[in-house]
Amino acid sequence: MTAETRDSDAPPPAKVGLLPLLGVFLRLGTMTFGGSVQAWVHREVVARRGWLDDQAFLSGLTVAQVLPGANPVNIALYVGLQLRGGVGAAIAVLGMVVPAFGVILVLGALYRNYGHLPAVHFVLGGMAASGVGATLAMGIKVARRLPRNLMAPPIAVAVFIVVGVLRWPMVPVVLVAIPLSIGWAFIMERGAKDGR
Amino acid sequence: MADNRLLGLALVFAPLSILSFGGGQAIVPEIQHQSVVVHGWLSDAQFTDLFAISRAAPGPSTLIAALIGWQVAGLLGAVLATLAIYVPSSVVVYAAASWWQRNEGSLVRRAIERGLAPVAVGLIFAGAVTVLRAAHADALALATTAVATAALYFTKVNSYTLVGLVALFYLAVQAI
Repeated sequence: MTAETRDSDAPPPAKVGLLPLLGVFLRLGTMTFGGSVQAWVHREVVARRGWLDDQAFLSGLTVAQVLPGANPVNIALYVGLQLRGGVGAAIAVLGMVVPAFGVILVLGALYRNYGHLPAVHFVLGGMAASGVGATLAMGIKVARRLPRNLMAPPIAVAVFIVVGVLRWPMVPVVLVAIPLSIGWAFIMERGAKDGR
Repeated sequence: MADNRLLGLALVFAPLSILSFGGGQAIVPEIQHQSVVVHGWLSDAQFTDLFAISRAAPGPSTLIAALIGWQVAGLLGAVLATLAIYVPSSVVVYAAASWWQRNEGSLVRRAIERGLAPVAVGLIFAGAVTVLRAAHADALALATTAVATAALYFTKVNSYTLVGLVALFYLAVQAI
């Protein structure tokens, strides 16, 4: 199975070590507060280390969000698979889940004793707010790299309004938006290949 | 007895894993129904507490499965529930991502990448709004978000440092 990926004619990027991969995801696994995991992963894997480029990361991110499963686990699986195949996927997922698993059991025990204290909710709320900041910073960075054409920005804005503001369920919205967007991109790609 | 409980955990969480589109928020009501009403593992109040912890803790919110598993059958239950909630969906994602990797450089994959990007951008901003709304963000939270956004956009500040500083700041505010 994994050997099939070898015959790609594109030169493989410099191989990322399994230990650094594990290290990055172990830390990410303890830091993914407030549903902002994609932002932290983007920052560590793309912005700071350059292991993946923006486009590879974004497509993986969307795949991770659309398919079933928790986003942090799916994005770890995708990044690990891209960098080091099946072993990398397993290591990245373990790194993402095991620390969080340990922390949540400890928090569960602590909460039984201290959960009534308002300070606990207050500090956790602040950490979640900074997580939203990470999401917005990443969103601005990738939005600036979208092609300035008649299709990409309107699709991005429409998806944001319908899911974020109007709160329509994400899955049906995405099931409509993705074929539209990909179909358009396919036509554009084919046009570019045929020399217009 | 213990075996029945472990089996029950697996049978509740493994199917929900496949249904957890959109990161797991969609299956929370079903987790509540199964663990409180159908199996009677938890009271409503216990479930609400565990839900709050899973939202505040690092890691995926579906780790509530681990908390429920712990409640039902101890550490083994926590491990089993966690495997049940992540392994089935991971198999699906692994197959999809493998196809993805084999087709590098193809016209179809380039079109998919270019086509997915604007959808992802829309979802990223929608996610930020959803989290703020779920947290009932007040002026302080919005200001925190604004400062964090600027710091992360314009500098290379370490993510962990930033979150740590914010936590310390909130502790200080709380102490005053």
